[in-house]
Amino acid sequence: MIKFVDTTKIYSNGAVGVKNITLSIEKGEFVFVIGASGSGKSTFLKLIMHEETPTEGEVYVNGYSVHNMPRSEIPYLRRSLGVVFQDFRLLPNKTAYENVAFAMQIVEALPREIRRQVPLALGLVGLSKKAKAYPGQLSGGEQQRVVLARALVNNPAVLIADEPTGNLDPKTSLEIMDLLDEINQRGTTVIVATHEKSIVDAMKKRVIMLDRGELVSDVKRGQYTNED
Amino acid sequence: MKIRTLRLLTREGAANVYKNKLMSAASMVTITTTLFILGLVLLIIVNVITNLEAKKRDLQVKFYLRVETTRLEQEEVAIFIENCRATGVVTAYEYESREQAYENAKKNLQNESLMEGLTPDNFSEGYFVTLANPNDSDQFIAKLKLLSGVNPKWITYPKQELERITGIVRVFNYAAIFVLVVLMVISILLISNTIRLTVFARRKEIEIMKYVGANDWFIRFPFIIEGMIIGLLGALLAYLLTSQAYGWIVDGLNNLFSSIMITNLELMKFDQFAIRILVVNIIFGMTIGVIGSFMSVKKHLDV
Ligand SMILES: Nc1ncnc2c1ncn2[C@@H]1O[C@H](COP(=O)(O)OP(=O)(O)O)[C@@H](O)[C@H]1O
Ligand SMILES: [Mg+2]
Repeated sequence: MIKFVDTTKIYSNGAVGVKNITLSIEKGEFVFVIGASGSGKSTFLKLIMHEETPTEGEVYVNGYSVHNMPRSEIPYLRRSLGVVFQDFRLLPNKTAYENVAFAMQIVEALPREIRRQVPLALGLVGLSKKAKAYPGQLSGGEQQRVVLARALVNNPAVLIADEPTGNLDPKTSLEIMDLLDEINQRGTTVIVATHEKSIVDAMKKRVIMLDRGELVSDVKRGQYTNED
Repeated sequence: MKIRTLRLLTREGAANVYKNKLMSAASMVTITTTLFILGLVLLIIVNVITNLEAKKRDLQVKFYLRVETTRLEQEEVAIFIENCRATGVVTAYEYESREQAYENAKKNLQNESLMEGLTPDNFSEGYFVTLANPNDSDQFIAKLKLLSGVNPKWITYPKQELERITGIVRVFNYAAIFVLVVLMVISILLISNTIRLTVFARRKEIEIMKYVGANDWFIRFPFIIEGMIIGLLGALLAYLLTSQAYGWIVDGLNNLFSSIMITNLELMKFDQFAIRILVVNIIFGMTIGVIGSFMSVKKHLDV
């Protein structure tokens, strides 16, 4: 499903993103990526969605090989992924409904399908009532739910979340994590970068820990151990 | 891309014109201003050229027959000129008979004694010819010289005058092209700057679209529609402004010139080129809008 083979990313200014990472993530897994700020969590995720390309090694995602990928193929890779960010990234002048519908429009789904799937996705994240609201009219937690609905609506094989609860209060954070867990139960591979110790400890999922770009531990039912 | 996607993106572009009112207005003002200036400059140039061309047509070829010609030679010339008029080479001509030449000479001379002993037979017949196309003059004169009745030394044509006017017309033609190109470039730069601001303000949006997996055309198309609509609106507004302003300019010039006793100024009516101005405006406005959009989106697409 996702495979890193001795992958290194050095930024043009010399900063180490990730270094000699080798690991694979199987279909249906739930994986936390943890580590201090600057340890390479975001870089790891950006390599998966081809926002960055590796300087060395290879990354395989859903059958795509990221190395030397033609520009025109990138959109297809991204459509096989759902992405969630700390800062939400919703289109500001589209309603919640339109934001979710947008993800289906770019894959040229039938209008009938869009009308059917979008309410389902919004229902799944518990936002049916706010379909007509614009992002500016929604709370942080609600915006993140819209992002989740958008990430899910095309039934991606993999969902990637970069500190999805970084801007949310503890209660809302738990609700979002619960949703991610539910999405995972339905078969989607979920990869979450976070440094929310309590959540990681409570969920008992696979934990990949990075330190200055290097993979320092990879535990099946892990905890947020030996930090600091 | 599927038709329904194109429809969707077209609607999206149209909606964006309205949603980004401020930027749309700014871009439109840019296009309107350029096309307005362009329109007026071109109208002035067209007027100058039209007047000069009219002046060129007033320049006549004058020629006289030999004093001693046969009846046959006179008829040959008359038939030649008539033919030229029938085929449209000549628009009009005046004929001066020997008697008229004699009378005119008598009238024009201060010292009547110069006419003593002269009869109409000492004079020759003249033709004053207006050519349809002044540029045909060389060819026309060459043909005249083949006629035995015509005295080749007595063919006159204000060639230098013609060349001078032709030169001026050419300069104005180049000026028109120059103005066209310069204004076009300026307005593309201005518009792409304005749109770049819009795109800059919306680069987050573009980024998001890319993260969700939209391809380049999906992102670009609405911007291009947006540029097209803004260009069209700008063109229409410029057309209205130009027609108003041109009316005022013509009135002003006519008043000015009649007050200094020049009445033969031939200013054209706006109606005479209303359609052409409209078409030029629309083509240029939309082209500027589309090129501007294209250039400014390009930069932000590489995410
Ligand atoms: N675009 C970039 N250009 C240069 N250096 C970068 C860039 N993005 C991240 N880095 C550097 O790479 C390292 C890893 O960053 P990042 O992957 O964002 O870590 P994390 O998400 O764990 O905080 C840091 O030292 C950071 O400064
Ligand atoms: Mg990060």
